Amino acid sequence: MDEAKKYLSDRLLSEEVPVTYRLLSRALNLRVNVAKQKLYEFYQSQNASRPGSVHAAYLIYGSKTEDGHPDSGDTDMDSSAPEHEPLSDHVPTKTVTIVAEEKLKEVLAEYEQVSSFHIYSLAPFPQRDLAMLSDVSRSLSEYRNAEEPAKALDTYGIIANPQARKRDRKGRPQILAPTAPKPITKQESQASTPKPSQPEKAKPEARETPSTSADATPSSSAGKKPPATLKRGASGGIMQSFAKAAAKPPKPKPKPEPKAKDEDTSMALSDDGEADEEDVLPPQKTVDHEALKRARKEREEALMRMMQDPEEDVREEAKKDDEQSDEEMEEASEPEPEPETEPEPEQQPKEEKEPTEVVSNSSNGRRRGKRRVMKKKRILDDQGYMVTIQEAAWESFSEDEAPAPAAAKATPTPTPASSAQKAKKAAAGKGGSQGSIMSFFSKK
Amino acid sequence: MVKLEDISSLLEASAHLPPKAPVRAPSAYKPLHSYALDKNRSYKQQYGDMYFLRLAKIKPAVEEVAAKAWADTEIGGERAKRVDRVLDVRQGELCWVAGTVYMDMKLKPNILEDVSKDSWLSAPISSQKYYSDDGSDQTMLEDDSGRVRLVGDPLSTIPLVTGCIIAVMGTENTHGEFEVIDIKVPDLAPQPERWALSRAPSAAGKAKSEDTEMTDSPSESGGKKIAIVSGLSFSGTDASYDLDLNLLLEYLLGEALGPEEQAGVSQISRLIIAGDSISTTTGKEHEDDDDKKRAQKKYGYDASAYNPLPSQLFDEFLSELLPSVPVTLLPGAQDPANASYPQQPIHTAMFPLSRAYAADAAAASASQPGWFDTVTNPWEAEVEGWRILGTGGQNVDDVFKYVESDDRLGMMEAMCRWRCCAPTAPDTLWSYPFQEDDPFVLKSCPHVYFVGCQPEFATKVVHGPDGQSVRLIAVPSFSKSKEVVLVDTETLEVSKVRITSR
Repeated sequence: MDEAKKYLSDRLLSEEVPVTYRLLSRALNLRVNVAKQKLYEFYQSQNASRPGSVHAAYLIYGSKTEDGHPDSGDTDMDSSAPEHEPLSDHVPTKTVTIVAEEKLKEVLAEYEQVSSFHIYSLAPFPQRDLAMLSDVSRSLSEYRNAEEPAKALDTYGIIANPQARKRDRKGRPQILAPTAPKPITKQESQASTPKPSQPEKAKPEARETPSTSADATPSSSAGKKPPATLKRGASGGIMQSFAKAAAKPPKPKPKPEPKAKDEDTSMALSDDGEADEEDVLPPQKTVDHEALKRARKEREEALMRMMQDPEEDVREEAKKDDEQSDEEMEEASEPEPEPETEPEPEQQPKEEKEPTEVVSNSSNGRRRGKRRVMKKKRILDDQGYMVTIQEAAWESFSEDEAPAPAAAKATPTPTPASSAQKAKKAAAGKGGSQGSIMSFFSKK
Repeated sequence: MVKLEDISSLLEASAHLPPKAPVRAPSAYKPLHSYALDKNRSYKQQYGDMYFLRLAKIKPAVEEVAAKAWADTEIGGERAKRVDRVLDVRQGELCWVAGTVYMDMKLKPNILEDVSKDSWLSAPISSQKYYSDDGSDQTMLEDDSGRVRLVGDPLSTIPLVTGCIIAVMGTENTHGEFEVIDIKVPDLAPQPERWALSRAPSAAGKAKSEDTEMTDSPSESGGKKIAIVSGLSFSGTDASYDLDLNLLLEYLLGEALGPEEQAGVSQISRLIIAGDSISTTTGKEHEDDDDKKRAQKKYGYDASAYNPLPSQLFDEFLSELLPSVPVTLLPGAQDPANASYPQQPIHTAMFPLSRAYAADAAAASASQPGWFDTVTNPWEAEVEGWRILGTGGQNVDDVFKYVESDDRLGMMEAMCRWRCCAPTAPDTLWSYPFQEDDPFVLKSCPHVYFVGCQPEFATKVVHGPDGQSVRLIAVPSFSKSKEVVLVDTETLEVSKVRITSR
């Protein structure tokens, strides 16, 4: 009660900005119906001591005498039938009106029956331009609780819906864990930048947040993980994130990324939070998400089928086996010193299993043959995401004897679940130190 | 006439505030994917198949109606006999024949003209109407054999558009024109029972026996409701109805109004947004800038001209609503979806905040529909057991151009009776070139047929020969009318809420 009074007098009398019941409810964590009441009490008490110091806008809800035809004065609903749309049935119409107190009487006169009537907003000046109120409601977004909308409904007394459901991410047991850091940072940033306009705000928030974070942290074993993986994700390259995002569409509602505060403004456009989070997946997933993996493989297969580039569909065959094992891909991705860029790929359907090179002719100090290389392809997957995938392809080459050391070839993939891109990346990193600079160019 | 004194008590009715906010009524919802297109669809095929399919599917129905009506028709001692093909009509013989209507109108864009003029860009549609009242418009009846021009008085009594299937009775006159004596349309398709596809919740078991005519329920507050709104037109430049949009949000969330009314609002079990949620019109001054910047355009697209604000605002709006009420979103002409009918769902990437409520794309096929369901336009579903057909309004807007009247409801009714919800596709309404199936043919008659983005609200019930009844609703654009339509899910009675500010 006192809190409300203080808040209202701060905003209305000191800062001279309007307050709607929604703003009051958000600012003080009140139910909207209570907030309307507070507004009314404040209005009464202020104007009792100093008439005209506070001006109200009211919200009226009810049926009007005669929709848009107050002149007819006939309360019978049916009499409006012969108006401009005689072909339509007449339907009961309720009207919600926001009206400044100055015009309240004349608006009320248009109503036949009023079923709801409450103060919508208070302002320190006559509210001529009600459009100002939409600015007020825009400021509400900073009170939005992105993590717990359901809780917000309860706090503010909004109609709750027990059926409401979000999509949940499969294979992610600890959804809450990554969110744990967030409320804290939020609280901090709020405390550190106290808005002069809402002195009260920080306090209730602070009261709230500890409980939220407490809720979130119990899965502390998992809570350890995200920061590390997040870092890795950041360096993981955009390609990787895209490929994964495509494979795993679900989007968690809690945004785990550390940029907590600016979320309000920039979240709408930023998507990297999701990408980062996707990278959390592989390590945990190795064992119990076989199904997911298989689904991804199938998907990859489908993707490959889709992209029948005339020049490239020859590589289809070669690619088939690369789905069988990721190790193979890694081998294949091994950069060769100077792959001849004379793309005359031939089909090598039988050659699949181990070799990455088939030397067809080595004479004269030159070796000729075909080798497996990784090619990048960019395609649109069936959700409309652009996906860059790697696939093995055969490429003919011709080079000097003394081939590149095949030593690094059989490096086992550290994380079998990781995607082709990852394997590729690891290999590329290694190769970069060994091969000549040419390999760098020819790979692209 | 309400006096302030009468209601001032409402201001202080705080003593008995209910301790808890009301709980939203559940929504029984089963969308049908009648208009979903294959993601890998091809656009190489010809449009002709659509007309062929449509005729093949509807002709039996209209012939049945016609045969029943004209079986014993005798004029001047001559019996009307059925003729299979349009070309088989013989001069002077009384006969009837079914076929597809083609309207030849000089104001109507004509693909043949474009081709002959060698202009391959579709010209901006300049005229509001294709219809011209100088009598130069011609009505043709055609099938795969040929085409005959229709003349006669009955044509002026019934609105006809390209692509609808009718049967006509009459004779061919000496000019080679078909003198129409009577016209028959296929009329309403068979109507499924309520709860034909989904199971009625056990509490609503009584609903099973109820008919659309049933009226004796407490329609004021008792029954569940579906809210339909269209043309929200979130805009980056026009803030004139921002307050109204806010009020709409507050109303639907049950924040505005008093406790009793909030309980009523909690009966709104679903919100359907029927098109044009985002306004793409930019301010005038913006266009001047465009001229200067044109040089910087890359691939004909000026990225700086894109204004992300409308979709951002819309996303915020949705994300506030979704925790409380499920939303079905149809695309409209202005929305970021494909322009041709049937429009495919707006991609959830447009809604970074709201998409957490959308269907899981990976599991979409099997599991339940998304809480936030972005759907096709047109769209068919069974909501609370009722078969509902809805569109974003382009189909009616296009039919509107063919006919003289402004009677949108009449056009909607005609579409139901033609058994085709987009007859003018693919002639003047852009459409996907269907090959195997014409989904615009109504296999079953809906209980509710709503059309969004219309100039004004209108509703009525039409009845079919076999006891079908369809509730037609023309949903106005919220940005203009500030109205939201509520449909009672037991009685299918319609009411509306208007939002104003002074």
